[in-house]
Amino acid sequence: MFRRLRSRWKLPRTMIITRVGRTYLVITMGVGLGALNTGNNLLYLVLGFLLSLIVASGVLSERSLRHLRIRRVLPGSASAGEPFAMRYQVRRTSGRSFALELAEENSQVAGMVWIPTVAQEEVTVRADCVAARRGPLKLKGLKVTTTFPLGLFAKTRVLDIEDQLLIYPRRGFVCDEPSEREGRLLGDGGNPRRRDGTGDVLGLRELSPGEDARRVHWLKSATAGKLLKVEREREDTRQFMLDVDEDLTGEALEARCEEAAALSQRLLLRGHEVGLDTGTMRLRPASGPGQERRLLSALAWVGHEEAGT
Amino acid sequence: MIATRRTRTRLLLRDGAALSAFGSVALSGAVPVWAMLAFFIAFAISIANFRPLSGRTVWSVVVLLLAALLIFGSVFRGGLDLVVAACSFATLVTAHRLLSEPTASTDHQVHLTSLLTLAGGAALTGELWFAACLAAFAITSTLSIGLLVLEGPVRIEGDLPVRPALQRLSLGVGLALVGGVLFFVLFPRLSWNFAARRSTPGFGGTTGMSDRVRLGGGGDIKTSPRIVMRARISPDPRVDNLDQYWVGRTFDTFDGREWKGNGVEQRARGQVFLEDGQQGMVQQQIELLPAYGARTLVGLQTPVMFNNAVMLQTSGSQRTGLVRLEDEEVHFADGANSYTYTAFSRPSGKYSGEKELTDVARYTRLPETVSPEVAKLAARVVGNERNPFLAGTKLADHLRSNYGYTLELPGEVADPLADFLFTRKEGHCEHFATALAVMLRTQGFAARVAAGFFGGERVGALYVVRAGDAHAWTQVFVPGRGWETIDATPDAARSTQAMLALQWLTSTYEALEDWWRARVVDYSFQDQLAIARALVRPPRGAANDDAPSAAPTASVPPLRAFVAAALAGLVIFFVTRRVMRSAVARPHPAANFLEQLERALRRAGIARLDGEAIEQLAARLASSSHPLAPAVTKATRAYLFARFGGKPVASEERGRLLAAIRPAT
Repeated sequence: MFRRLRSRWKLPRTMIITRVGRTYLVITMGVGLGALNTGNNLLYLVLGFLLSLIVASGVLSERSLRHLRIRRVLPGSASAGEPFAMRYQVRRTSGRSFALELAEENSQVAGMVWIPTVAQEEVTVRADCVAARRGPLKLKGLKVTTTFPLGLFAKTRVLDIEDQLLIYPRRGFVCDEPSEREGRLLGDGGNPRRRDGTGDVLGLRELSPGEDARRVHWLKSATAGKLLKVEREREDTRQFMLDVDEDLTGEALEARCEEAAALSQRLLLRGHEVGLDTGTMRLRPASGPGQERRLLSALAWVGHEEAGT
Repeated sequence: MIATRRTRTRLLLRDGAALSAFGSVALSGAVPVWAMLAFFIAFAISIANFRPLSGRTVWSVVVLLLAALLIFGSVFRGGLDLVVAACSFATLVTAHRLLSEPTASTDHQVHLTSLLTLAGGAALTGELWFAACLAAFAITSTLSIGLLVLEGPVRIEGDLPVRPALQRLSLGVGLALVGGVLFFVLFPRLSWNFAARRSTPGFGGTTGMSDRVRLGGGGDIKTSPRIVMRARISPDPRVDNLDQYWVGRTFDTFDGREWKGNGVEQRARGQVFLEDGQQGMVQQQIELLPAYGARTLVGLQTPVMFNNAVMLQTSGSQRTGLVRLEDEEVHFADGANSYTYTAFSRPSGKYSGEKELTDVARYTRLPETVSPEVAKLAARVVGNERNPFLAGTKLADHLRSNYGYTLELPGEVADPLADFLFTRKEGHCEHFATALAVMLRTQGFAARVAAGFFGGERVGALYVVRAGDAHAWTQVFVPGRGWETIDATPDAARSTQAMLALQWLTSTYEALEDWWRARVVDYSFQDQLAIARALVRPPRGAANDDAPSAAPTASVPPLRAFVAAALAGLVIFFVTRRVMRSAVARPHPAANFLEQLERALRRAGIARLDGEAIEQLAARLASSSHPLAPAVTKATRAYLFARFGGKPVASEERGRLLAAIRPAT
């Protein structure tokens, strides 16, 4: 109720007095008291100038916040607790703005970008942001703040620009390595005859018909008078299936998601295939960066399924 | 503008702001010399871009704290005024910050302490140059802070469009100054202006009217255009040049080289009568400025009474007593920067009616060193004339006709009077006055020398007297009439001999100062009421409805009503036009580019067919392999991006695209 009322009666601009501004106001009040007490006309003149400067500052800062066109360029991926680049395309439809600071209104995203001036030519600026939690993040308001012209007040205008950013779970979770035995060997990966890996040299044998000629050891073949193939040790690729218990909630769920994200990253880096079972969604094991994105995306949605529907 | 140049400009503006603020108190003369020295040294070092206090914050702050203890301890002991002490300490803090590492917070501190100093300046002075200092501070400080804000929290090495920012800041300063004036005019004055300090020592005294007139030396003071006195005369003579004598002192004893007075000092009083009052006396509200540099009161010849003496000091104004030295002068009991008082003088053409002098010998005594040739010369000129005034007039005519006026009198001589009369035959007013007085005395007439000023130049409603108007003349006693003035100095040499340009400058400044005092320093609730009344007062004649039908001219509103109506009409017109313009849909910014493109095409001899869009034209040119087809296609694409793609064409790119079409023409 209160939020609804506050959003309805939300002021078009908010203003914060800076530290310098506070001192300025104290001095202005002192001059005002001096003028009122003594009737000294020159103090009235100084007071008039100081007060008018506040008004002029308000007018100029307002002019800096008008006629702005801003568009977000969302990052390809963003993980909770890790910096990611949020880009904004900014331009003025007319005139020029000075000393702008862009920041997200959503308190889940920390970070800002400073723009000295914006004219009618579009500029793209980058803010290094950090999201606090994983999950779909609704970005609605973009706070545009200026301290121009005198740095006495920070005037803020909130532009309604709606976007949604999916924040992946944090991947820096400290957890135990999964045992090799937990993973299932893939296909004929366990066949000892299959020695066409990229590891250490195991030996030489005669090239069978149909085998890849690129494996021929030409020097030894020339010596032996027949085509010899180099056999190299092959690392085994395993399949892992990670799961997130459907019943987990709160911090336990967050911890499990972060653990799963960390594990999936490490396993995929080693070339293993990783799948995921969250109870509501199941991803078949696969490898590669595409699979990592799918896994992280699925983990980000865990617990936020209703937001996606 | 690159970062280093930008920073340098900002710091110069910051230092300028500090100087302007300090100027407001320094020119008042109230700030101690050590504070002035500290500031100017710090300012010079800062301008040279040298920061000796960088990294020495702790001990420099300790020194500042010690200085604060000393300064405010001095206030506690009564040695220093509180406002002056506060200004001095703010000055020291400003100096400290100027010499520290220039960061954003340092800059802000310089501006804030400068602002405090400026407020102190407002409390310490009421002079016109405060307005100049305020305006200079407003401009430099605002621009400097604006540049600081523009640079923001991160250092930007590359170019920044400083000029548009400065233009915007200038608009802000203009708004603030206009708003400040409006506030000043409209804000109700709820208290009396009891704390204004209207007097400052300025540059010290010039005339230094002393207790003796010594012959010899040049007359440098005659070339000084400085204004030493202002007077409001009632009834107003209504002339531009008053050309009257302002008497300060009279001297009765001459020792062959200098004149002295022998007046007996009386006790200080609130008012001093020199003669009995008369009908139709000329009243003068006189202000002796710091340039006057003496305590002697002056009044239009012949002063009858002095009263209402107020001395003005940096600490405020207070009444002071008047001390009379009989038959010599009246002076203030206390020393101060400047004074105000009221003088009443005998109207011209009226005489005191004094029949005889009580001490004739005092005014006929001659020094033994006077050459007998002087008496012989006087006797030859006067002849048998026994009327003192006519005899004096004869002598004065002789001196004016046979002697020259000069301010160049190098060297000392043993007998300056004989040197003037018989050798050099030229001198300045003191020589003429002395020669006339001594020659009259040689013939047995009572005479004395008077010193003061001759002149009076109208500035606004006041008459001002300059240091160069300082003058000496002769008074001769005429039985039955009293002391009469006879001036032997040539007419053209009596008033100031300053350069006309300097006189014009000082008069202009005086007029501005007069306006400043009347409209700003002394602005009051009464003035606000007068403005309000002037705005709402009905046209003349409308108030008296019962009167018989007024003449047609009486019902015509005054001129100011027409001016106000015209101004209001203009304001309404411009506001309406602005509103209407903003209500009407503005053309798209790209439309302007299209117009330029079409003009370029016309110049190139390419005409658009009826109803042919610009992109169709580009396609037609491309299909016909027209040499301009690539350039037109490129420009068309840029226009379409700007018009429909939301990607405006930058002015440089626009020029490039259009230039590509022009060469083929």
